[in-house]
Amino acid sequence: MALTLESTDASRRESDAPAAASRGPAHDARPAISIQNVTKIYPVPLARAKRFFRMDASEVTALADVSFDVREGEIFGLIGRNGAGKTTLTKVIATLVQPTRGRVTVLGSDSVRDEERVRACVGLAGAEERSFYWRLTAEQNLMFFARLYGLSGRAARRRIGELFEQFELTELRRRRFGELSTGNKQRMAVARAMLNAPPVLLLDEPTRSLDPVAAARMRALISELVRGTPPATVLLTSHNLTEVEELCARVAIISGGRIRDVGTPAELRASHRQRESVRLSLRGPTREEAARVLGGVAPDVEVERAPDGEIEVRFTREVGDGRLDEALRALHAAGARVVSCETERGTLLDVLERYEGAADEGDGAAREGVEAAETRETGGRV
Amino acid sequence: MSQRLQLPARVWAFVVRDFQLAFSYRLEFFLRILSILFITTTLFFISQIFASGFDTPFEQWRNPFLAWITAVPFLNYFMTGFSSLAEAIRSEQRQGTLEGVLMTPINLPTLIVAASAWDFVLATFHSFLYLFFAWALFGVDFRGNFLLAMLFLVVTTLVLASIGIISASFAMVFKRGDPLALIVGTGSALFSGVFFPSQLLSTAGGSVFGLISYLLPTTHGIDGIRRVLIQGHGLSEVREPLVTLVVYLAVLLPFSLWVFARAVRRAKREGSLIQY
Repeated sequence: MALTLESTDASRRESDAPAAASRGPAHDARPAISIQNVTKIYPVPLARAKRFFRMDASEVTALADVSFDVREGEIFGLIGRNGAGKTTLTKVIATLVQPTRGRVTVLGSDSVRDEERVRACVGLAGAEERSFYWRLTAEQNLMFFARLYGLSGRAARRRIGELFEQFELTELRRRRFGELSTGNKQRMAVARAMLNAPPVLLLDEPTRSLDPVAAARMRALISELVRGTPPATVLLTSHNLTEVEELCARVAIISGGRIRDVGTPAELRASHRQRESVRLSLRGPTREEAARVLGGVAPDVEVERAPDGEIEVRFTREVGDGRLDEALRALHAAGARVVSCETERGTLLDVLERYEGAADEGDGAAREGVEAAETRETGGRV
Repeated sequence: MSQRLQLPARVWAFVVRDFQLAFSYRLEFFLRILSILFITTTLFFISQIFASGFDTPFEQWRNPFLAWITAVPFLNYFMTGFSSLAEAIRSEQRQGTLEGVLMTPINLPTLIVAASAWDFVLATFHSFLYLFFAWALFGVDFRGNFLLAMLFLVVTTLVLASIGIISASFAMVFKRGDPLALIVGTGSALFSGVFFPSQLLSTAGGSVFGLISYLLPTTHGIDGIRRVLIQGHGLSEVREPLVTLVVYLAVLLPFSLWVFARAVRRAKREGSLIQY
């Protein structure tokens, strides 16, 4: 029976492997984005004058010593709560914000010294709806940005046509941007980021405001990008953890401006959630008999009778302990037949919650600071 | 597209965009034409007060309507040079589009030229309308070297544009509260001799007013254009205002580009590009 369990775990790891392989490149792929010890401290304007008048002039640390690489052809997820530093990091990579310390390179070009070169190979789709001209049509907006990216008139028209097809916006091309739905505005932002087919895409919550069908199509599109020739590299920030797990080869967890962990979704789940819940469907014993047999094996066991007459049993165990073996042996000895056995490990949400819990206890004040910075960054001085 | 062709293509992209935006407010476009007609007509009727028995030692002001209609459109042009970039930056910040534009591989000099391009197209059209209405409706006839007048127009506009770039740097960093807008923007109409001879400032207002008037490049620009178009002066007679303007340009243009690059870097450091 132990063999059966090990093969269950192994088969799950194996089933993760092709999925991860389809999302990302080999481990030896060279970094497309390299972030080295990046710290971003937002200076306070007129700090000396504010201190003189005893006003609050404390600086805000939005990113603290952030380091990681995103490999070429990889979909890399960046998850964290509001104010964690995701948007600041994205803007640092996109050359829109300069780091206070540290270095970011995109395909070998430094984001401060070679910013024009970096901008030429990076497409950014932000979550900011205001970044378009609301009185221009969808087509006029994209045409303007296409020309700034250096596309000729003909090439721009062809590319815009392709993107409208891809994002199902063709019928809305002559509609003013301000008249588009929030979801379509979001699609426009991603379409603009792809105008010059950049090798690196920074997507800030790309499926936010999309309906489930459109969101699924967007995810499929993002997956296709990294399978293209040459493959694109995608840095994706999202609050939708299911989406991150589905799309990303690797994920970084950011909290309070610090990278707390980097790994594949499976690695993060495995290293931070060592417990899993087990659900068995049984035939044969009564509810009471099952509870009695399993009570000695798993103190937290819950037993219920399903509408189809089967008995459903739930308990938790440490991954790899002998509790499931013991439960199955005890049930077998009691004459029960196990119809199905499912286990469920923690999700990225559990991992995130764990870090956020630690951050809330440890550096709650730091988070408030970062949120204040990101509010400022997104136009808080209105 | 080759690098050489990218500058005109990008400038053209801005012009097309701004035309499309302006065209989406059609009524404003036609009301502006109407307002130019009204201003020209008003200036003409005010000038009729002095039509009989007006004697003045200021040669350029013997026909006040001619003096005004020479200065107003050119001042309009100079002020476009001064304010268009700061206005473009503020407008992009208000709309939230500045980051979108700065995300593209566009360099700063291109942005400066391109963002102001439509305003110059519009200012050229409006200035032409002033002169056209004055010629067609009120019989104004300019005589002089138009190429020389054009040289004054270009040099003065470039000087004002340099100050405008510094003004845009204020907009980039401080968002609002630009002292240059007060001094150059509103001060030019008062101190540059647009509506009355600038010499009156020192005689009636004292040497400080005279000094302010002398320091403003618009004073030299308007004086030069009037000397050419009203008095019919040639290059040798307008050397002084022209050299003054060229000196201003040689100092201010590189300085303003340096200041603007620093302002953009500072806004990126502070993460305040889209704030307004």
